[in-house]
Amino acid sequence: MNASDSDEDIYNERSALVRSESPALPSYIPDSDLTPPNGTPTKRLKAGISRRPGAAAADGGGSDPEVEAEEEELTLKYGAKHVIMLFIPVTLCMVVVVATIKSVSFYTEKTDQQLIYTPFTENTSSVGRRLLNSVLNTIIMISVIVVMTIFLVVLYKYRCYKFIHGWLILSSLMLLFWFSFMYLGEVFKTYNLAMDYPTVGVIIWNFGAVGMICIHWKGPLQLQQAYLILISALMALVFIKYLPEWSAWVILGAISVYDLVAVLSPKGPLRMLVETAQERNEPIFPALIYSSAMVWTVGMASPNETQRSEPDEEAEQSDGRAEPPSRHSRLLPEDEMEEDRGVKLGLGDFIFYSVLVGKAAATGGDWNTTLACFVAILIGLCLTLLLLAIFKKALPALPISITFGLVFYFSTDFLVQPFMDNLAAHQFYI
Amino acid sequence: MHLIIFQWLVNDYFCLIFLLISPGGFAFLPFLWLVNVVWFFREAFLKPSYTEQLQIKAYVKRSALGLLLWVAVLTTWITIYQHFRAEWGEVGDYLSFTIPLGIP
Repeated sequence: MNASDSDEDIYNERSALVRSESPALPSYIPDSDLTPPNGTPTKRLKAGISRRPGAAAADGGGSDPEVEAEEEELTLKYGAKHVIMLFIPVTLCMVVVVATIKSVSFYTEKTDQQLIYTPFTENTSSVGRRLLNSVLNTIIMISVIVVMTIFLVVLYKYRCYKFIHGWLILSSLMLLFWFSFMYLGEVFKTYNLAMDYPTVGVIIWNFGAVGMICIHWKGPLQLQQAYLILISALMALVFIKYLPEWSAWVILGAISVYDLVAVLSPKGPLRMLVETAQERNEPIFPALIYSSAMVWTVGMASPNETQRSEPDEEAEQSDGRAEPPSRHSRLLPEDEMEEDRGVKLGLGDFIFYSVLVGKAAATGGDWNTTLACFVAILIGLCLTLLLLAIFKKALPALPISITFGLVFYFSTDFLVQPFMDNLAAHQFYI
Repeated sequence: MHLIIFQWLVNDYFCLIFLLISPGGFAFLPFLWLVNVVWFFREAFLKPSYTEQLQIKAYVKRSALGLLLWVAVLTTWITIYQHFRAEWGEVGDYLSFTIPLGIP
């Protein structure tokens, strides 16, 4: 099966971690006052950490060290909450992928079919040749990704919104309908259930239609998040199936380097995308970004829609929050209810994290390797979010996590696993 | 203020939903109606009343009705299919998306 071009753009533009604007200080104080029970423990925890950045800010800034320290503290406390809010979806995505890999054998069957982006086969006789082929595959894949990213950024800069939107709709259509149809078929075959076409048709039609509405238009936040997690998992499964072994690992490494370059360097395409979106004060396309908090992004980023996004956000603020109405009366004098904008994580990050953990589950030894990679990725994500709280600008989410993940995978597979097996074989408990 | 904010949400969302509920539109979307019912249930029935609430209540009731109807239809069809699939022979195979292997 050849994945179409429209797939590629989904993940390559999504590897960026963006922090929404830091809210103004006055709107925070009522926030922390109203949530003393869960607020104070994290506050005390973060107070220790905030001293150091607070002191550093005092040395450098010199304007008002108390306000700086307090703002840092609030930012970090805020950041801690969002770390948790991102852990859950990333974990869910990985759980779905690992569960599928372990139960449905379709995704781990050896197949000679490969994506057109990785034309070199790995069925060669010598190790050197195989390594060379995987490096060549990676070069091709990365150049395709670079070209697609640049193309997307150019389109965005020249405001060809219709084209981009059509492209995104086409690729999410394919993911939501075709891939989920295949997935459902494989699950039924694995569990040996009979299913008829009409029922399957209704299920897929419902799933896909509601998904399109939720992702591209409006819907309950949790449902939109669930759909984004599911399509990331589906995409990751496709990669796990159709990328050859060694190519997959080299590609993971290469794409984290590319992510670093693309987001941090001044002319990097992803950085330009984020900056242009911020300049124009538009949300980045909803089909590319997972948002952890209660902010609705309007479907099309066209000029007349952005005027709607203001009242939309306000509507969302009041609808999504569980706080009692008294809170709204307090915040009434504020113009912009910029409260819980949350952190946005690109879907490409979800996909590549899941590819790493899924590959570890598929080809690694046993659960040790999988769990080690999982923990490594979460540690990396935590560190990245900490850096995000400190630097307050868009950061690449792939490099740290993927590096840790790769290191943990190879060391666990080749060092820890045989060690544990030997210990168990000799009944030696440590 | 709550009222003003909510009007936005209601008018916007329900225009589309109404389209989808009506028989002329895409009438095969019980999942969407389930989402409607679950999401707007609190707004329609458990909040103190305001002017738009009647409209919301009507929509939630219609969605619930459609949902129940579809659940009934699907349940009957699935039961019939699973029970009689083997006996239908060729027609059963033609209808089947996956056929279980082995002997039951």
